[in-house]
Amino acid sequence: MIIWAIARTTVGDALRKKILQVFLVVAIGLIVLSLSFSQTLSFSSQRGASSDFMLLKSFGLGMMALAGIFISLILGVTLIPQEFERRTIYTILAKPVKRYEFITGKFLGALMTLGIATGLMGATFIITIVLKAIGAQQAAASPTLGHVLGASAEKIALFDWNMVWAVILVYLQFMVLSSIVLLFSLIFTQTVNFFMGAAVYAVGFMSTVVISLGGAEGASSALRFFYKTVSYLLPRFDQFNIPNQLLHPETQVTNMGAYTGMMALYGLLYTLLALVVAILIFERKEV
Amino acid sequence: MAEAIVVEDLCKEYRGRTGDRVMAVNKVSFSVHEGEIFGFIGPNGAGKTTTIKTLLGLLFPTSGKAMVMGKPAGDIEAKERISYLPESPYFYEHMTGAEVLDFYCRLFKMGGAARRKKVPELLDRVGLGKDGSRALRQYSKGMLQRVGIAQSLINDPDLLFFDEPTSGLDPIAHKDIQDLILSLRKQGKTVFLSSHQLSDVENVCNRVAIINRGELVKMGTMDELLHAGRTVITLAHLSADLLGKVQPLAEHVAEDGELTKIYTETEENVHKILDMTRGSANLVSVVPQRQTLEDLFVEIVREGRH
Repeated sequence: MIIWAIARTTVGDALRKKILQVFLVVAIGLIVLSLSFSQTLSFSSQRGASSDFMLLKSFGLGMMALAGIFISLILGVTLIPQEFERRTIYTILAKPVKRYEFITGKFLGALMTLGIATGLMGATFIITIVLKAIGAQQAAASPTLGHVLGASAEKIALFDWNMVWAVILVYLQFMVLSSIVLLFSLIFTQTVNFFMGAAVYAVGFMSTVVISLGGAEGASSALRFFYKTVSYLLPRFDQFNIPNQLLHPETQVTNMGAYTGMMALYGLLYTLLALVVAILIFERKEV
Repeated sequence: MAEAIVVEDLCKEYRGRTGDRVMAVNKVSFSVHEGEIFGFIGPNGAGKTTTIKTLLGLLFPTSGKAMVMGKPAGDIEAKERISYLPESPYFYEHMTGAEVLDFYCRLFKMGGAARRKKVPELLDRVGLGKDGSRALRQYSKGMLQRVGIAQSLINDPDLLFFDEPTSGLDPIAHKDIQDLILSLRKQGKTVFLSSHQLSDVENVCNRVAIINRGELVKMGTMDELLHAGRTVITLAHLSADLLGKVQPLAEHVAEDGELTKIYTETEENVHKILDMTRGSANLVSVVPQRQTLEDLFVEIVREGRH
């Protein structure tokens, strides 16, 4: 009950942050705008409708990821330090609230806020794709545009479940990132934490490169050890973006549901680990 | 008599970023009896808030013992029976007064029905019955302090920590808080009151501890701490010769232009000084005076600076 009370309050507080609202509105706006953007592409390119759909999906997923990363960073960076700055933490921890309940409640609140943000962006994304699919099918059926779009437009399904899995995967990476930033917020200042969080995401996003550097033959053994350690320690954010075919054109996932389940398990374990370490630090932190 | 708070040789040391160490609280020992109003006073930076935060388990002692309601400071069971009103309390501004209290009620695991009954009761008690549905960002400082008081009364605590409860309040709000502390005393509650309003402390507290530079300087009841029979004799045109003769009988002498104020404690010395100066100086006034807590406080703090 205490964790839930803190989580609810955190959501109410977080959703009022102007900067989060701006990121959310801009991301939703760009996803919607991508509809007209891809409309232009459809008729100008020679690639066909299915290729345009791939572009549209990649753009939408990319927008969601970018906005969500910033929201996760800002939320995670300010989640606990702001309680100190505003001195709200004193009256809360003076009540019979265990420290792990406070941290868990705050983190759960952040996850709920990210869930709302991802839900809004995801819904906009999926609706945009469905509208585009309807438009493409109607155009394919029309006698004047049918020959321009070709047979590929007719093959496009109105609703693709893989989009839902892709949105869930995007959310899972926000969860992992915010748990890391929350942990860092107990150690570093807000500015340092923001850049550290961004760096962790960037390195995790390029983990394939880091892994290959760890196995590079020309590098010294110390350097290879360093790259290997980094690749083991940091979460593999690239794996959450597999459905984005623009980023991973070579990778094909046959069963997206199973893949998402596996990544959810990976993300949850990583998040749990970061949360446990954060709780252990906070247990001895003076407020 | 049972003790609500026991502090023994409490030390709290802070380490600065450059590695320098500051002893915020140094071997402080005191106890607070159940049912008493205990004043804890000292200048800014004396270690008052550090001591309170340590007792609440927000800070950890470097060494020594801090027990609250028979449990180590910070114990969850003890926190069920205590409350804390910080100086200038801050809350989530997007919430209304009622929502904030509902939130704090939830932290005591109160059910929905109990919360629906408790929140309006508390709002009425602190005079915010009509403002409960307004967002806190629209509240004045005094109103926020009232919300702070309301949240400190949620669990009907046995021990209340009040840190500067009247700081920056208008006279009405100030009086309300003073009345609240007195009513808590009547109910047999224990109050640990840290305040710069020394007249409040003098009026409501059973015992007072004075802390300066992290060390407990004095502690006791008002009668034990304050001089009872001090008399101030004010004379005009007192010669230097005569002043030299009077001085050994005085506790303290202050000169202000032509006027000389002679502070003396015993009635016998008052008569001796009056006899010695009769006809040689003009007697302006003889005023029996009780030392105030403020006098004592200023004296102690000034001594500490030398």
